[in-house]
Amino acid sequence: MSALTFTLKHRTAQRVDMSPLVCHLLKELKVADIAALTLQSGKHKLRVDELFTIEGSDAQNIVIKNSVDNLDFIGKELDGGCISVSGDAGAYLGFGMKAGELKVSGNAGLYAACEMKKGYLEIAGNTGDFLGAALPGNKMGMKGGTVLVKGNAGERVGDHMRRGNILIEGNAGDYCGSRMTAGTIAVMGQTGRYLGYAMHRGTLLLWTQPQLSASFNDCGAHTLAFLPILFASFKSLNSRFADVSSAFNRVQRYAGDMSETGHGEVLVRIA
Amino acid sequence: MFIKLTGGTVYDPASGVDGQQQDIYIQDGRIVKKPTEDVKVDKEYDLKGKVVMSGAIDMHTHIGGGKGNIARTLLPEDHRNDPVHRSDITRSGCGHAMPSSFVTGYRYAEMGYTAGFEPAVLPINARQAHMEMADIPILDKGGYVMMGSDDYLLRMLTAKKDQKAINDYVAWTMHAAKAIGVKVVNPGGISAFKFNQRKLDLDEQNAHYGVTPRDILRVLATAVKEIGVTHPLHVHGCNLGVPGNMQTTLDTIQGIGGLPMHLTHIQFHSYGTEGDFKFSSGVAEIAEAINRNKNITIDVGQILFGQTVTASGDSMRQHANHKHGSPNKWVTMDIECDAGCGVVPFKYKDKNFVNALQWAIGLETFLLVDDPWRIFLTTDHPNGAPFTSYPHLIRLLMDRSFRNEVLSTIHPEAQKMTTLASIEREYTLQEIAIMTRAGAAKLIGLKDRGGLSAGNWADITIYTDNNDRQKMFEKPDYVFKDGQLVVVNGKVVSTKWGTTHVVRPDFDPSVEKGLKDYFDRFLTMKLGNFKMSDDEITEDGRGSITVHPLNGDVA
Ligand SMILES: [Zn+2]
Repeated sequence: MSALTFTLKHRTAQRVDMSPLVCHLLKELKVADIAALTLQSGKHKLRVDELFTIEGSDAQNIVIKNSVDNLDFIGKELDGGCISVSGDAGAYLGFGMKAGELKVSGNAGLYAACEMKKGYLEIAGNTGDFLGAALPGNKMGMKGGTVLVKGNAGERVGDHMRRGNILIEGNAGDYCGSRMTAGTIAVMGQTGRYLGYAMHRGTLLLWTQPQLSASFNDCGAHTLAFLPILFASFKSLNSRFADVSSAFNRVQRYAGDMSETGHGEVLVRIA
Repeated sequence: MFIKLTGGTVYDPASGVDGQQQDIYIQDGRIVKKPTEDVKVDKEYDLKGKVVMSGAIDMHTHIGGGKGNIARTLLPEDHRNDPVHRSDITRSGCGHAMPSSFVTGYRYAEMGYTAGFEPAVLPINARQAHMEMADIPILDKGGYVMMGSDDYLLRMLTAKKDQKAINDYVAWTMHAAKAIGVKVVNPGGISAFKFNQRKLDLDEQNAHYGVTPRDILRVLATAVKEIGVTHPLHVHGCNLGVPGNMQTTLDTIQGIGGLPMHLTHIQFHSYGTEGDFKFSSGVAEIAEAINRNKNITIDVGQILFGQTVTASGDSMRQHANHKHGSPNKWVTMDIECDAGCGVVPFKYKDKNFVNALQWAIGLETFLLVDDPWRIFLTTDHPNGAPFTSYPHLIRLLMDRSFRNEVLSTIHPEAQKMTTLASIEREYTLQEIAIMTRAGAAKLIGLKDRGGLSAGNWADITIYTDNNDRQKMFEKPDYVFKDGQLVVVNGKVVSTKWGTTHVVRPDFDPSVEKGLKDYFDRFLTMKLGNFKMSDDEITEDGRGSITVHPLNGDVA
């Protein structure tokens, strides 16, 4: 069986809600049934085969080709199986994802990995604001799983994050790790202003010295035995995070945000 | 258009009709007498075997005003999880605990309600409250203006101004805010909170003004009576939610000295301190005091299990309650030095001892207060539960075996602390009609609503009798609003706009002299802008104002 492949015929003027096209919802369906499903686009409902040419039949292995940045909710609540996107993805990529693998070859929009629970999400390009965050008003962001971004991430990475790993090879914007309750965010590039704003707990692992608020306290230089174990867990990734030369165990440790409980930590590599 | 409703079983306590078969005639929006000559009936409804009541009136429901919008902003999930699509005749909206204004109107109408009264209109935000209620379709509405922690009144009390001056100020404020009643919330306590007091007992002085809640209640209850407002002073007392507050409530009843007073959401004010958890039901004594004191009316503020949000002017108590917020987020704020606001989401759980006993306390209150004309069916929407839970509440009141079934599932320690299982009373349809219709109209002073005799507006709800009272009350067959058929089989079939009910007590116009100086010196708004004009409600062509008579007026 070959991968169930949706090739976008043309870009629509309005955004498209892609949430019906996930492995667990399609696995019992025949291709003709899938073609007849409807997708909400602005005020209209469009048949899947109006928007996409469909090939293949293995719903555990979905490919979205010619994807563009107004296809929202790709991989929503994905519960096992693989989705691979060639091109860009819109907002809410992997929203509430529960298991499986989701990969995007281009960029992703706002709120990627929003309230993600488990599984693996990889974005080869850049991603927008609120990566791994909670929906507005909700108190819990990403709760588990791993997100890898090879490019840059926008502002508010991991807002209200509870657990899991967010790995960013490029830069992260302002308010990285804001209101975090727990979990790990690793950034190889630069970070912006207000790093760890109102974080309770959790770890921000950085390769370059950030601009820290006054509410973070310098706790000195440390050699941390858990870091080699953490890096070892990245070994299987197709990423610079898997590279042995990236690993380190000597860090400057800062505790904060002292305007919250102050149990969070910012670890900065000592070269 | 001449409409005949034929052969229904009518429950109209306002004219003493208790389950008799009667025909009802409607012309030009009102109920009319049986025509003497042959008048052509344009439309006849065969209601044989159906139950006919007037449209229900919710006399205490938070449907307009700033705190609703704060709750909406605080709880986007309440809206995401409950979207309502538009139809050809209804608009889209959303929300479970605090629905959008349009959805509020549709859902009330679909349960057979035709009027709702917002009990906490802050004078300075009255415009916003009325504008929001103007967007609630189908329902009639009105508001009780909130006083008692306003700086101007407290200054008057400190300066020992005479009752006449206070009467003028109260009457003027009712005009300015387009109100039909006067409400007081934690009298003086909202103000005291700003002077770092975290509780204020009935006889405790506000640290800044040196006045006590007892003083404030007396002077306002006297004012309401003397200026001739039918609706008694609407009181949200001191110490809401505090174990042991039953004594405060008993003292409040005693302290008002026979003046008319309405105690709202009394469930939250009927707690003792007995038992292992130092939390118990004080209903036996409270109900006895209510039965004895005919000047007192109450509404219950029943809690029902599930997610809701509490929105109150009582910033002092809401600040204390924020620890129990679920989900854990909350807002407490001052409003222009004149009032407060606290919004705390709550999830009432049947397996939580306190919540379970609160549930039982509310039901005990319903069942132990004898006179249905002096007790009203509320959940203090949305504070105890969203108004959409009323049919469930009615079933709990009318069906003892159902009540005991639910009782057997709540926290076992709470079951031991309530007498509920031994109470045999079941509400009758007539008693439900009194609480939710005739009694409410009488309490608020609506001259031509809440009854089915000729001359009343044709607000009429028709149900199919069903032993499952929840099913019966959640899906009326027909609802007429001002003679227009708006609901069929529990679904809105047409919409219209209700009126805004007000009263206009007299005052000495010279009251504005002192007020103008005060506004110029202290407030963010000029006196002229503070006062609402009728046009603001009526000029869009949808809204209208209905002025009700004062006590002593010739009807
Ligand atoms: Zn209330």
